[in-house]
Amino acid sequence: MAPRKLFLYVAGQTPKSLAAIANLERICAEHLPGQYEVEVIDLRKNPKLAREHSIVAIPTLVRELPVPLRKLIGDLSDTHKVLVNLGIGSSA
Amino acid sequence: MTTASPSEKDLLIADLRHRLAEAEETLRAIRENEVDALVMRGSLADEIFTIGGDSESYRTFMEVMEPGAAALDGAGRVLYANSTLTRLLGKPLAQLQGKLLMDVLAADTGKQIEQLLRDACTARCTREVRFPRSGDIDLHFLASAIPLQVGTISGHAVTFSNVTDRVYNEAVEQSEHAARAVIDSANEAVLVCDRNGIITHANAASSIVYEGNRVGQAFAEIIPLDFHDTSGVLQADDMIDMVIAGTPLRGMEATAVNAPKVKDYLVSAAPLRVAGDRINGAVVTMVDLSHRKAAEEQQRLLMHELDHRVKNTLAMVASISARTAAKADTVEAFQKAFSGRIQALSATHNLLLRNSWSSLELRDIVRSELAPYVDDAAGNVTIDGLNIAVAPRAAIAFGLIVHELTTNAVKYGALSQEGGHVAVRAVGGNQGRTAPFVVEWRESGGPRVAPLERKGFGHTVITRSLQYGGGGAEFDFDPAGLVCRISIPSEDLS
Repeated sequence: MAPRKLFLYVAGQTPKSLAAIANLERICAEHLPGQYEVEVIDLRKNPKLAREHSIVAIPTLVRELPVPLRKLIGDLSDTHKVLVNLGIGSSA
Repeated sequence: MTTASPSEKDLLIADLRHRLAEAEETLRAIRENEVDALVMRGSLADEIFTIGGDSESYRTFMEVMEPGAAALDGAGRVLYANSTLTRLLGKPLAQLQGKLLMDVLAADTGKQIEQLLRDACTARCTREVRFPRSGDIDLHFLASAIPLQVGTISGHAVTFSNVTDRVYNEAVEQSEHAARAVIDSANEAVLVCDRNGIITHANAASSIVYEGNRVGQAFAEIIPLDFHDTSGVLQADDMIDMVIAGTPLRGMEATAVNAPKVKDYLVSAAPLRVAGDRINGAVVTMVDLSHRKAAEEQQRLLMHELDHRVKNTLAMVASISARTAAKADTVEAFQKAFSGRIQALSATHNLLLRNSWSSLELRDIVRSELAPYVDDAAGNVTIDGLNIAVAPRAAIAFGLIVHELTTNAVKYGALSQEGGHVAVRAVGGNQGRTAPFVVEWRESGGPRVAPLERKGFGHTVITRSLQYGGGGAEFDFDPAGLVCRISIPSEDLS
């Protein structure tokens, strides 16, 4: 099965944006190897992309599939919270 | 106005609830400082608003800094690193951002930085760290960390100032100090020359090779060397040239022609390599050979002396044997007389050996010869004024004379019966040590003495010994007791 996409909305290289990118890479590598493909969307470069998922706060992680769409705001430093809120699993 | 069906109402309510939950989650995240940027809907286009200010200013500032610099979040993740630091770490900024700085450094260096960040939680901290590099010299940095507020988070600003040159200069300086201390404490003369053969350093022991301070002058001019066994082909400048070309020279005997104190040296020279394979000059060591030469000369003299004395002794033994045989009536008589004389010779040799063949006191020779026959406690022998030292030649002859007098006294004279007495004393003094020193042997209390009817070898030994430099011995056959006056030549008096 092809990996599903996760969208991570960041704002350039703000500290929390950088932390969110690093944390998500780590979580995917450690807990979900090969299952998800992460697309980092820099809203500082293209702010209008925020409308796609109605993003207000940055950083925000969006999981489109499976429905329902899920969002998680913050730097993703709490691995357990990331896994549970995205409905990926609870075995952090 | 249209009216929604019950199912549509449910969907609408679910959507509203979802949006409400999302809005509440957004507010909570903002309140709890989990975000550092917001999307602001403008009249023309959306804009990004960074909470806590824009970070571009500190990035610009870091970029113009000469030292390597990084902004780290509270966990030690790289938020930004200037180009000096990215070059140093060998990774582009994109690969460093978000990574823990400790993880991109060598293990030991990472631990040092981790500790530095812990120490710098409230104020600036500095420590020296090392960046190991395979196949190259390690780099040394002075790392400083100071608390930094970046946007909404607290972190650290870290700088790395390259102090490699300083560290290596200090190491080289320490190494030079150590090398100089080693050279200065050496007992041998040690001279260091540069590639042109100019003396750049000389230790204190070098003062035996030349006078004054010769640093800055050419080695070959100051210390011309005459190497033995090279027929003059090798000169001091040739030696320096060979060493600088990479050929060390070990243990060559040479004469330092101009040396003020010691002339003979054992010279060694080795290439001087300060760093790497390049030869920077020569180190010349000169060991003083004067003591060794003196010892060799002493040994040579001793060998000659030993040879001479052995030949003399053998000649004396041959003479004693021949003359004893000529005068002895029986084999037993020869054996007894010959053994006694050889033992007398041996006794004096033993005394001389104990004195390293230097000189002996007449008193000790007399005691040694009388010891086998006379008990000290009996008091039948007195010795007076014989604390005079004589050379080995006179000592051996005097020993043989005393031996003959003693055996005669024991067999026929004063020591052959109870109440006999022998007085051995100096007579007449030794005026200015130019006249012979006279020792008188006077017997008393023994049988009546008559002149000899037959002169044996003992008589010959006594009268013919010491026949040089005015020495000799003469008898007086006093009926009350034999008297013999022995003259020791003044040249053998010590």
